Amino acid sequence: MRVVGNPGGLFHLREGAVIAVESPGSPGAEALLLRSGRVSEQDWTAALSEGTGRRSHQATLIARGTIGARELQALITVAVHDGAFATAAGEVEDHIVDSPLDVLLSAADGVAPDLLVLETTRRLDALAAMPFPLSPFRERVVPGSEALARALTDQRRRILDNATGRRTARDIAFVISRGVYPITVEISRMLTEGLLEIASDEASFGSVNWGHTSLRPRARPERAASPDIDQGPLPARHREREGADSRKRTRPSRWPAPPEVLDLSGTEGKNSGL
Amino acid sequence: MDYEALAAELRSLRETVAGVTDIVLAGVDGIPIFADAGAGVDPANVSALAAADLGVARQAVEVIGHGALSQTVVFSSGGYMAVYAVGRTALMVVLGDKGLNLGRLLHEAQPVIARISSVLTAQPSPTPKARRRTQTTS
Repeated sequence: MRVVGNPGGLFHLREGAVIAVESPGSPGAEALLLRSGRVSEQDWTAALSEGTGRRSHQATLIARGTIGARELQALITVAVHDGAFATAAGEVEDHIVDSPLDVLLSAADGVAPDLLVLETTRRLDALAAMPFPLSPFRERVVPGSEALARALTDQRRRILDNATGRRTARDIAFVISRGVYPITVEISRMLTEGLLEIASDEASFGSVNWGHTSLRPRARPERAASPDIDQGPLPARHREREGADSRKRTRPSRWPAPPEVLDLSGTEGKNSGL
Repeated sequence: MDYEALAAELRSLRETVAGVTDIVLAGVDGIPIFADAGAGVDPANVSALAAADLGVARQAVEVIGHGALSQTVVFSSGGYMAVYAVGRTALMVVLGDKGLNLGRLLHEAQPVIARISSVLTAQPSPTPKARRRTQTTS
């Protein structure tokens, strides 16, 4: 099922259960695996090339010993919940039921839709009830006045390092490869504590220009209209006479003239097959 | 050139399409005109690369005979670079993270490109003196 909107999402269902959710609003299972360093890009690419019709991509990953089956399933389930939250927290315009599409990483048992709706509603309510509720997609943040005064956890330090003023909670979640819901909640707490502040419009959408005036297409040279240019046929070229002349013209002044013995103009036809 | 209008268009695109991180407008010769980009992005480099990329894509479409070029996108493990022609004289580069909604970007970019094109090619309004002269002669 495709949920049209901003950011929208793609819900993969099998036998009534949601087995994967892909949304531009939250890092998917692949991004969580790769960007967090749990699986290297080399291993991922190798598993992709090894994966055949008989064995799924995730089965190949597990068979190679890259990641445990239980850890992979847990991570996919986290990504399903996070994708559902991201889709619901944004603008929903429409939904379309598509024909089934392939998905690389899917939850073996899936998540029942009613449980997914319940958990998503709980997350939306929890975020709305926070002292500083914010949208994962709208507010952009910068370090606040308290940022240097306190000892910070590793996650908070990484959020601060990436709070450039141009990034929303969703953008920071992608940069540090964490779920968008936990990052949004953490940013909300940090805003309350003065560790972060909402960025000004200048910090969020600052731009630079190079002072150009308006652009115009390059004008074509009007050759035909110029009386100085001869429109007649090109002059005939005589190889023996002009070859020697052109060498004289292009030779830099301090170079010695080539000896006549190196003039190969007479051998040109003989060597054409070489 | 109306830089405020350009800033409003780029802001709207960044807010409407999830995953857009930076946008650069440049001439087809690769010279930057306007940029809404973070500190890690050098608009001069991006503009030059995008001009080369767009040139190759245009040639490819023409040689293959697939009609008109819509967009050219570089996919990488960490994100995307999409390049659009803005009329015959300019281009727009959109950089995005791994979650960039490419389908929505293509959909939303078309009207934005049309408006940007008209801003880039708009002739400066005549000075009051010139305007008076025009009125006298007409």
